Amino acid sequence: MTRIIRNTTNVVNVAITGVGGQGVLTLAELLAKAATFDGHNVRVGEIHGMAQRGGHVLCTVRIGDGAMGPIIDPGMAHLLVGFEPIETLREIQLIAPDGCVLMSSHILTPVAVSMGQAEYPSHDAIVDAMGKFTTRIVEFNAVELADKAGSPNSLNMVMFGAAVGTGLIPVSQDSALDSIRNAIPGKLQEINTAAFNLGLVQLKELL
Amino acid sequence: MTRPIELLEDAPGKKILLLGNEAIARGVVEGGVRLVAVYPGTPSSEIGNNLTAIATRIPNFYFEFSTNEKVAMEVAGAAAVAGVRSMIACKGPGLNVAADPFFSLAYLGVRAGMVMVVADDPSMWSSQNENDSRYYALMANMPMIEPSDPIEAKSMLLDAYDISEKLELPVLFRTTTRVNHSRAPVELGPIRDRPAKVEFIKDPFRFVPIPFVAYGRHAWLLDQMRKARKISEQTPLNSSAGNGELGLLTSGIAYNYTVEAISELKLEAEILKLGMTHPVPDEKISAFLRRHGRVAILEELEPFLETQARRIAQMNNIDVEILGKEQGYFPRTYEYTPRIVITGLSHILNRNTPINWQEIDSKLRELPDIPPRPPLLCPGCPHRATYYAIRVATRGKAIYPSDIGCYTLSIAPPLETADILFDMGSSITTACGIAQVTDQDVVASIGDSTFFASALPGIVNAVYNRHPINVVVLDNRTTAMTGHQPHPGTGLTGMQEKVTPLDIADVCKGLGVNYVRMVKPFDSLADLVSEIREMVQWTRENREPAVLISREPCALLAAIERQQEGVAPRPYRVNPDLCNACKRCLHRLSCPAIYFDSDTGKAVIDDTLCNECGTCTSVCPQGAIDQER
Repeated sequence: MTRIIRNTTNVVNVAITGVGGQGVLTLAELLAKAATFDGHNVRVGEIHGMAQRGGHVLCTVRIGDGAMGPIIDPGMAHLLVGFEPIETLREIQLIAPDGCVLMSSHILTPVAVSMGQAEYPSHDAIVDAMGKFTTRIVEFNAVELADKAGSPNSLNMVMFGAAVGTGLIPVSQDSALDSIRNAIPGKLQEINTAAFNLGLVQLKELL
Repeated sequence: MTRPIELLEDAPGKKILLLGNEAIARGVVEGGVRLVAVYPGTPSSEIGNNLTAIATRIPNFYFEFSTNEKVAMEVAGAAAVAGVRSMIACKGPGLNVAADPFFSLAYLGVRAGMVMVVADDPSMWSSQNENDSRYYALMANMPMIEPSDPIEAKSMLLDAYDISEKLELPVLFRTTTRVNHSRAPVELGPIRDRPAKVEFIKDPFRFVPIPFVAYGRHAWLLDQMRKARKISEQTPLNSSAGNGELGLLTSGIAYNYTVEAISELKLEAEILKLGMTHPVPDEKISAFLRRHGRVAILEELEPFLETQARRIAQMNNIDVEILGKEQGYFPRTYEYTPRIVITGLSHILNRNTPINWQEIDSKLRELPDIPPRPPLLCPGCPHRATYYAIRVATRGKAIYPSDIGCYTLSIAPPLETADILFDMGSSITTACGIAQVTDQDVVASIGDSTFFASALPGIVNAVYNRHPINVVVLDNRTTAMTGHQPHPGTGLTGMQEKVTPLDIADVCKGLGVNYVRMVKPFDSLADLVSEIREMVQWTRENREPAVLISREPCALLAAIERQQEGVAPRPYRVNPDLCNACKRCLHRLSCPAIYFDSDTGKAVIDDTLCNECGTCTSVCPQGAIDQER
C-alpha cells in the first residue's frame, strides 16, 4: 500500500457513491458540516427524488476556498468513497490519477442480476478495472464493521471514519464526531460514533 | 438533515450549512412572507417540507400544500393582491399547470411582494422534460431573478420581494436542480415581522380583467417593464468582474462553472453575471459587448441570454463575435458541468483542455459491463402487489395509461404497466382517448395525491361522455415520491392541523362513477387479481368508467411507524429446504430485497431490506416463503 499524502490544492474533492437508502446523502452533509466546523468553505451536490428509490446515488463534497459549484468532473476527485463495489466502479472516472478509492466490499445484488439479465462482475475484474484509473485502492467490509458497531444502518459512519482516516480531507476527528453528535440524537449516537471509530481504526491499520 | 427548527434561529451573522431549498425557506422567514402555497415537486420539494415543519412557530404565518400548482398560484396571488407578502413554489412543469393565473397576475399586479419560485430540472433528474421556464418571464412580461447558489437563493429572494413591491408586479424566481440541491454555508440575517391581518381594499377595475380593464392593464404592464429595465441596469445583482480580451456573459449555476473554468484555464477574461435576467440590462450588456471583440454566453438549456445579446448587438450596431449555442460551442441539452464550460472555452480559444478527458473517456469504454441499478419500487411497496395483480388479471394485454409518482417506475420489467403518460392526471384522460378508438381493455393507474391534484375533471369527463375505462387508484396515503407531503386524502394540513380527510371512493361516487370498489393489496393477492378481473368485465359490459381503490400506506411510512412503536422487525425468509430455485419470485416481482445466492442455488431475502409486505409468499409456487416469528 502506497502512503497517502495530504492534498495541497485549494479544493479537496470528495465523491461519495452507493445505493439509495445506504446513507450517502447523510454522510455528504455531515462531512461538509464537519469541514465548516474546521473553518472551511464547502459545497455539497446531491440528487433527490427518483435516485433515492434503491437506485445509484452520487453525492459530491468540495472543501476549500475555490469551491463554487457542486460538481466534480472526471479526473478531479481526490477521494472516492464507495459503499458498494459496482457503484464505486460506476463512478471510477471521477478519480484523479493519484486519487484514493475507499471501497466497502459488501455486495448488494442489483435486481437485473437477480433476474438473470446481467452478471455481477468478479471482484478481480472490478479491482483490475479500477487499477487503470488509480493504484490507490483501499478495500474493506464496512458492513461487517457497522454490524459490529450495533447496526447495519451505521455503514455510512464507518465510511466517514475511514474517509477521515485517509488523512486526505481537511476534517479533524473532533469536528467529525461533533457533526455526528449534532445530527444524531440519543441511543443511535453511540452506535454511530462507534461505527465512525471502527472505520477510522480500520483505515489506520490498512495504510 | 439540517433540522427545520434551525431555520427559525434569530442569530444574524451566524453561518449555517443549508440546502438551496432550505435557504429559500429561511428567506421566507427573514422576508416577512405572510403566506406560502406550494404543490410538491422535485427539485422544489424541500421548500414546502421545511416550511410545514416550522409554520406554526412563525407568528402570523400561513402555509399550505395546495391541491395543485394552479390552486397555489391563485391562493398566493390573491394574498399579495390583498396586501401581504406571498410565495408559491413549484417545479418547472408545475408552472405549466399554473400558467393561466400566472399571465393574469402580470396584468393585474400585486399590492405587496409576491415571488413565484420555479425549479427547473436540467438533465431531468426527476422530471418529464427540461423545459426552460425563463421564457415564461419573457412571454408574460414578468421580472425574473436567477440565483446561482444557496447563498444567493436566500439573499436574492429578499431582493426579489423589494423589486416586486417597487414594480407592483410578481417576480419569477427561477432556480435549477443544482441550486435547489446544493449545500453551502449561508449567513443568517434579521427576521422581519408579519402583519396579523390586512383589509382587502376593493378596486375591481384593476383586479377584474374584463376586456375593458385588461386593455388598459397591458399598456400599464409594459410601462412597468420599462421601470424594471432601469432597476436591471442599476442593481448590483447584474455586475461584472475581471479584465481581459474575452467577455463571458453568464447567469445561474453556470456562473460558478465559468469562474472555475477561468481558474483552470488560467484565463484573462471579464465576466458579466446577471442575477436579474428579465428584463436584461440592455445598456450594461451593450457596453459589455463593446468592450470585447468576442463574448461567450454561458447558460444552461436554451439560448435565452444569447438571443438577448444578439438582439442588443444588432440594435446598437455593435461589431462583436457572440459565441454560444447557436454555433454549437455549448449544448442546449442537459445540465452543465465545469467540463462542458472548459471544453467549450478551450474550443473557442483553440487550446487543449487542461485535463485529458478523452483519455479518461477511452479508459471508461474499457470497463467491464456494469449491471444497471435504476430506481425501483421499494421493498414492501404496495404498488408492486397491485401492478402484479393488474398484469396477471389482464395477462399483460390491456393498455396501461400511467401517471406521475413513484408508480411510474412500474414501466420497468417485470411489471411493465406504464404505456402512456403526458402529465399530472393524464392517466384518466389518455385512457378515455384510447378506449374510444381501440377495442383493447384500458386499465389506468393514478396515485392518491395526483388524483386530488388533477384527476377530477378527467373523471367527470369519463362519466359524462361514457368512456369505458378502468381506473386503479393507488392510494398509499401520502405524496410519496416528493418526500411524503400530506394531501386532501390524508387528514393533515400544511399547518399540521388534523382535519376530516376527503374519501376517494366518496369523491368518485359523488362525481357519478357507478362502479367504485376498495381493496387492500396485502390482504390476498388472489382476491386482488379477481377484483381487477371483475372490474374489467364490468366495464366491458357496461361501457362506462369503473374505479378500484387499492389502499395501503407507503412502505416507508409503515416502516417508520413500526420503528416508532418499537415493533421488532419480522422479515420474511425463504426456507432453503423448500425453495427449488424456480426464480419465480425474482422474475415476477423484482423486489430489491430478494436475491439469488449463487453459492447455495436458492433465493434469499435480505432481512435488512425486507419491509414485511408478504407479497412474495403468494407468488412462490412451493410455499417456501414465510414470516419470521
